[in-house]
Amino acid sequence: MIFREVEDRDLIAKARRGHVDAYNVLVSRWEKRVFNYLLRLVRQREDALDLSQDVFLKAYQNLKKLDDPAKFPAWLFRIAHNEAYSLMRKNRPEGEMTVEPRMAEASGGLFPIESTLAVRAALDLLSSDQREAVLLKVYQGFKFEEMAEILACPVSTVKSRLYTALDLLKQTLAPVSTGGAE
Amino acid sequence: MSCSSEDLKAYVVGELGQREKAAVEVHVRACESCHEELDRLNLTQSALATLEDEEPPRRIAFVSDRVFEPRWWQTMWHSGPAMGFASAAVLAAAILVHGFERPVAPAPNAVVDTAQIQKSVDAAVTKAVSDAQAKQAAEFAKVLNASETRLEQQRQSDLATVQQAADYYRKQLARYEVASNEGPAQ
Repeated sequence: MIFREVEDRDLIAKARRGHVDAYNVLVSRWEKRVFNYLLRLVRQREDALDLSQDVFLKAYQNLKKLDDPAKFPAWLFRIAHNEAYSLMRKNRPEGEMTVEPRMAEASGGLFPIESTLAVRAALDLLSSDQREAVLLKVYQGFKFEEMAEILACPVSTVKSRLYTALDLLKQTLAPVSTGGAE
Repeated sequence: MSCSSEDLKAYVVGELGQREKAAVEVHVRACESCHEELDRLNLTQSALATLEDEEPPRRIAFVSDRVFEPRWWQTMWHSGPAMGFASAAVLAAAILVHGFERPVAPAPNAVVDTAQIQKSVDAAVTKAVSDAQAKQAAEFAKVLNASETRLEQQRQSDLATVQQAADYYRKQLARYEVASNEGPAQ
């Protein structure tokens, strides 16, 4: 992990001097994570791919503005977050950013927890803010402080979104066994 | 430690320090409801982990763009060894030139005939230009010739195709004429 971080830093330094090949190596390391984050956020494969390309292009153009190369992951995801929300705002001209749950009644242990479909359905129950908190913490492993930087909000907000999301997910994915369940 | 849902969640997502972690572990051993809550959170976390990352449908890659490429002087500036090598090469070339072009001491009373020098330089330049023009003309003729040959071959091929098509339609027409002259079979 330490070696990986050092290598990323070297690649960033080279890319800053205009070495596109070094930047391409950096892209190949991060594209899968960025793509999956965006895919789970915007839920459209083509949109996620287009956004990924935009994210890496913007990152390249602004690489010199990155003060601390060690913060590259959070910085990159901050760009991804902005791009995703920009697209979602465009697709939702009325300005309604909170995605309402698609299914109101999905809980009660109806889905087998082993199924990825159940997880997808459970994530769909969350608002976009809550889902993003889960994506950044559970799937991308960011710390609360990094998440606060990415989302441009206080750590307390990050915690609140994540904990509420976990409560909702728990109801669907690990329901209380009542004994009288049908 | 008292029952705290937040602490349990922070524990599950790995946001607690060693001491806080140990406190949660001690508490859940003694508290039935927190133990159950922690189990459910772990189960939730495990379920979420079943969702695997997808491969991007296309790889993202950038090609070198002149807009982003460093200027030649930037490249040189950042390339210390290259600068050193270039300096050494220039120095070596200077020494070599000096060796070959060492000025000969002028003979006494020698007169520099600048007109003669100018004449020979002009002649050399004229020769070089005419050589280059001749070479260029020869290459142009070669390319033109090849192009004409190719065009001719293409034309012959097209003619053959047209001929074949014309034959085919002529035969078809003859067949229809015969059929119409014979009238309906029944």
